[in-house]
Amino acid sequence: MGASTGAKLSGMQKQVLGLYRGFLRAARTKSPEERRQIESIVSAEFRRNSKLVDRKNFIYIEYLLRRGKKQLDQLSSPATVGLSYLNVDYPQTRKS
Amino acid sequence: MASALRSAVLRHIRVPVAETLTLNGSKWSLISNVRSMSSHGDDHITKEEIIHRVLDVVKSFPKVDPSKVAPDVHFQKDLGLDSLDNVEIVMALEEEFKLEIPDKEADKIDSCSLAIEYIHNHPMAS
Repeated sequence: MGASTGAKLSGMQKQVLGLYRGFLRAARTKSPEERRQIESIVSAEFRRNSKLVDRKNFIYIEYLLRRGKKQLDQLSSPATVGLSYLNVDYPQTRKS
Repeated sequence: MASALRSAVLRHIRVPVAETLTLNGSKWSLISNVRSMSSHGDDHITKEEIIHRVLDVVKSFPKVDPSKVAPDVHFQKDLGLDSLDNVEIVMALEEEFKLEIPDKEADKIDSCSLAIEYIHNHPMAS
């Protein structure tokens, strides 16, 4: 559906953007190389979902938000130095 | 008596400036030290400087055509960015001016003019 391009943001959009901001803030606390790596993974993931996920599929977006928050909690721990990404396709979950 | 004591004490105090600097090593830490000190106090940055630096940050954003950037442009309507880019730009401005902008405020900053206004009114901007 694409990321929003203006107008007023819905509560859910604000949550998504807040989560994105949280990830970028967490990335700042890591080493410069890790930071770049994290930023590119996170940015790609948010952009991918912004295109793939139907903006009215609230249940799925809620699920992604919850999953993202958990991942952010883990990333925010000082013990976590970086992020790696496993590309798994879940064709079932995409459709509403 | 007091002055004798004072000079006696002062003679024994060494401020290890050179040591800390070499220990810290890199140029980077030196620069950031200087910056944070200048942020402290009366020499608040001028609006012209803020405008200049905000525009520089926006122009250096990879998806932005630098020739389109002006003090009154809207990030999404005029520069063709989306809301995720908007978040990235506001985060870049936070770093440039050593600020932390709360989510509520950050969501409202969607143009160069609002960014300039917000930073200009922020007492800690440096």
